[in-house]
Amino acid sequence: MTALTATWRRLFLPQANGGVPAGVFVAILAALVIVAIFAPLIAPYNPDTQNLMGRLKPPGTEARGTYYLLGSDELGRDLLSRVIYGARVSLSVAVLSVILSGAVGITLGMLAGYRGSWVEVVVMRLVDIFLSIPAILLAIIMVSVLGPGFTNVVLVLALTRWPRYARVAYGQTLAISNQPYVRLARAMGAGPLRVLFLHILPNILAPLAVVATLEFGLMVLFEAGLSFLGLGVQPPTASWGAMLSVGRNYVSTAWWIATFPGLCLFLLVLSVNLIGDRLSAYLNPKSR
Amino acid sequence: MSVFLLQRLGQALVAIFGVMTLVFFIQRLTGDPTYLLVPETATQADIDALRRSLGLDQPLVVQYVNYLWDMLRLDFGTSYVQNVAVTEIIMSRLPYTLQLTGGALLVAFVIGLPVGLAMAIWRRYRATNLLMGVVLGAQSMPTFWSGILMIMVFGVWLRWLPPSGSGSFSHLIMPSIALGLLSMATYARIARSSILDEMSKDYIRSARARGVTTGRLVGKHLIRNSLIPVISISALEISQLLAGAVIVETVFAWPGLGQLTVQSVQARDFVVVQGIVLLGAFVTISVNLVADILYSVVDPRIRKGGRA
Amino acid sequence: MIRAFTHGIAAAVTLLSAPALMAQDFTVNLVNEPSTLDPHQQWNPDSYYVYRNIFDNIVTRDNAGKIIPQIATDWKQVSDTEMVLTIRDDVVFHDGEPLTAEDVAFSIQRITNPEFGSPQLGQFNQIIGAEPTGEYEVTLTTKGAYPVLLAQLVKLSVVPKHVVEAVGNEAFNAAPVGSGPFTFEGWKRGVDVTLSRNENYWGDTGPFETVSFVAVPDASTRVANLSAGTADLIVSIDSDFARQLETQSGIQVLTAPTERVAFMGMNTIRAPFDDPEVRKAATMAIDREGIVQGILAGGETVVHQMATPSHYGYVADAAAIPYDPEEAKRIVAETGAGNTPMQFATSPVYDQRIVQAIQQMLTEAGFDVEISMTDMSTYLQAARAPEQSERPYLSFGRWSCACQDVDGVQFPLLHSSSSWSRVNDADLDSLLEKGRTALDDETRMEAYSNVQQIVHDNAYILPLYQAVALYGASENLEWTPTANESLFLNRMNWSE
Repeated sequence: MTALTATWRRLFLPQANGGVPAGVFVAILAALVIVAIFAPLIAPYNPDTQNLMGRLKPPGTEARGTYYLLGSDELGRDLLSRVIYGARVSLSVAVLSVILSGAVGITLGMLAGYRGSWVEVVVMRLVDIFLSIPAILLAIIMVSVLGPGFTNVVLVLALTRWPRYARVAYGQTLAISNQPYVRLARAMGAGPLRVLFLHILPNILAPLAVVATLEFGLMVLFEAGLSFLGLGVQPPTASWGAMLSVGRNYVSTAWWIATFPGLCLFLLVLSVNLIGDRLSAYLNPKSR
Repeated sequence: MSVFLLQRLGQALVAIFGVMTLVFFIQRLTGDPTYLLVPETATQADIDALRRSLGLDQPLVVQYVNYLWDMLRLDFGTSYVQNVAVTEIIMSRLPYTLQLTGGALLVAFVIGLPVGLAMAIWRRYRATNLLMGVVLGAQSMPTFWSGILMIMVFGVWLRWLPPSGSGSFSHLIMPSIALGLLSMATYARIARSSILDEMSKDYIRSARARGVTTGRLVGKHLIRNSLIPVISISALEISQLLAGAVIVETVFAWPGLGQLTVQSVQARDFVVVQGIVLLGAFVTISVNLVADILYSVVDPRIRKGGRA
Repeated sequence: MIRAFTHGIAAAVTLLSAPALMAQDFTVNLVNEPSTLDPHQQWNPDSYYVYRNIFDNIVTRDNAGKIIPQIATDWKQVSDTEMVLTIRDDVVFHDGEPLTAEDVAFSIQRITNPEFGSPQLGQFNQIIGAEPTGEYEVTLTTKGAYPVLLAQLVKLSVVPKHVVEAVGNEAFNAAPVGSGPFTFEGWKRGVDVTLSRNENYWGDTGPFETVSFVAVPDASTRVANLSAGTADLIVSIDSDFARQLETQSGIQVLTAPTERVAFMGMNTIRAPFDDPEVRKAATMAIDREGIVQGILAGGETVVHQMATPSHYGYVADAAAIPYDPEEAKRIVAETGAGNTPMQFATSPVYDQRIVQAIQQMLTEAGFDVEISMTDMSTYLQAARAPEQSERPYLSFGRWSCACQDVDGVQFPLLHSSSSWSRVNDADLDSLLEKGRTALDDETRMEAYSNVQQIVHDNAYILPLYQAVALYGASENLEWTPTANESLFLNRMNWSE
């Protein structure tokens, strides 16, 4: 327990060498998560209610009884409410796709490293195959076969990103499975699943956690990219990526549409990346 | 050793074959391209006639066997949409992709390496932490947004650079930066850790003890020795860049393979997609193969063909 | 070292300063590059914009939309199924060979040959014969009486027989030879197509010596190119971009009402839209004026039939179902139509502002509608599913046949045999067939006025508005865009 507290301190509190304490970024992240969870309580208006006569109103204007604190979008919807609801999509897509791709990738990677022989060959060649197929191809195929929507965005991201975890898990498992304590566990009759999940996984979790944090930021960006290509979550659902990809068309006439969701997305990705960076520097100053 | 080589080579070929097969079939799950090729007024009979003339009316297995046979004869087919040989289409786009990838790598290097170096050497100063923040910030914006902001500022308001297109060095600058920003932080991080690693080694410590200045150390030893991991990560970064180029190429109207991929996938131009994926698979898998072999030469312990 | 560095900067600066645009060089930004430049092979706007300047068509339309001579100077309907065309005798292909009746007949035979597999076959498959009957005379034979023939010939380009036969289809596509006002210069794949002025053209050639068509897929980038002066004319912008461009100096927005009719399609086979009352409720729920004035505001007008005033067969005083959201709510509640979840199928090329506005209006009336946005190919496969009942519940479209005849709009959207139609009504079918085959104006007009009555009474489809084509252009350009969305370079002018 004390070790954990010490870790926490070193990671997130101000240190002698200066710099912004990572705690700040954890706080930003926490704030965004809270906004996402309590969106219906915080948002002043329904994010989907349109007002065709109140389109593209600048921040701080009022039209037909609606006060647009952050302005209105291309269909006269309240931007603030949409930014608040958008947090839900961006965060949940990233969380779910990291969990899914991590679970698949880590399991396969560990199996490959631990079992060797044909399992290793099959898994690692599958990794090669999946790394070679353009993500956009998979995205369009998923959409046309299964239909568009939130679930498929998560599936596309998981399907294209699991090889990252598999590689790291594989390499780490390879390095660790000959360690005396693993051999001891095996000699004492522990089954492969027990060895993998009780003895190996805890010891390779640190580098994987770093990968997952960095991937989290990427997932947020990829979700936005899919929206830009018209393959993201379905309109009119508010997502930062979708708002940004529409808002970029209004950079010189209605700057607020892109700026506010863009800023939130930026803060989210930056915080997660900085936390990941701090984590990786702390856990293993030599790698990555 | 040569048995290992042959095995790995065989596996690589199987992987390429796997990519080809997978892409062949999953593409055809998405339906067929004729709907996009006919005008709005076409009748079902017109659609059927076109499908016949493209050979898409045959059973899937027959199409697959024909495809493999064509591949064996190195015949990569003709685009459904453009009616031009796939090799010709890809070769006309390849130079642009190489330019953009090269430009992006250069940007990532030129900014990422010094930042990593500075962070390792002056790691006790607040400013270097901020530097990393800036580098990470640069990759925290979706490229389709940062891209259009760059176009507005440098292309429209300041008129320093052409807003989009290709054809001269100045056209290459903005897309390279937009794409390079994505890899910059990776390079900074790797440079930092490998230099830190290097600095903790005995020869550096003793040189320090002898009173060799930091500047000399950096110039003489640190950069050179820590470049190896940086270069080895580049192999992986390249395939990342190829994938990331889709959006950058769309925004900057850059005629590389990324744009071609999106357009061909959307048009269900199966033959072109197969060609692009085959090329991509060939590059990715051979890079991995070479890396594996090099690692096994350097470190016989990983003879099994694995690496971290 | 430092000197080399400053040298480098100087060189870079020279590279960076873009050459001033000359009037004789003209740059057009399209969305995508042309698919092909063989006019018989592809039918999409980006191909058409380019190749229509390389090739002459049999007839054409003037800016007002009237059919006027191009290659054919005269046309006579000699019987119900035969038409005789008289060909210009002074037209020369870009390779110097004269254009003859042989070439015209060859072109028609080529595009109507099922073996050739032209994607445009559907527009011309009523033609069953084309023979030269004199040095400058061609006789066309159609399956039956076919009143739309001349309107279809507006879209038929003449290719040189001797070139196509000598080099084959593939090489012809790579280096097309036509007789039009511009000569093909080069095609850098994925980059641009360049044309140069044909100094030997028989008609006007316009002010531009060379023209390049550049593919710029992102609308924001096209707008930036125009603002920065690296493009002189851009296509495919929406009303919000147009308003943005209007405020900039040196730039103008050119608009033209098109023959494109925007509509909301409903699947009248599937519940709940198999009930005419429910379709009426959906119609009453849509605030068409709100869409036209609130979102578009670029000169669009609300229409109450699947036609625009520029179509043959437009019914002058068509009745309208009024906007009445309260009544819509009442019907939806009464019929329980809101209990069926429905997909609104769409694709990114359609104006998503309008799709979302419609979805919201339907939702407010009590319908359960969710948008299902997919890529174009997936969308088209759903929209043209073999079984009528499998086609989407709801969709938004903007239809043009580029023929300015209601047959080209209403037959594909409403006749039960069409792969687009979500309507199955025997009376409607026979009226549409009558309109398609009758040769005298009175019978046709009567048929179409009855069609309109049936469509209105049953609320089979919801016509929304007549679309407007928007182009961004340098203010030096003088050009009148046309209803059929052609881009004739030789009808443009340039003033410094």
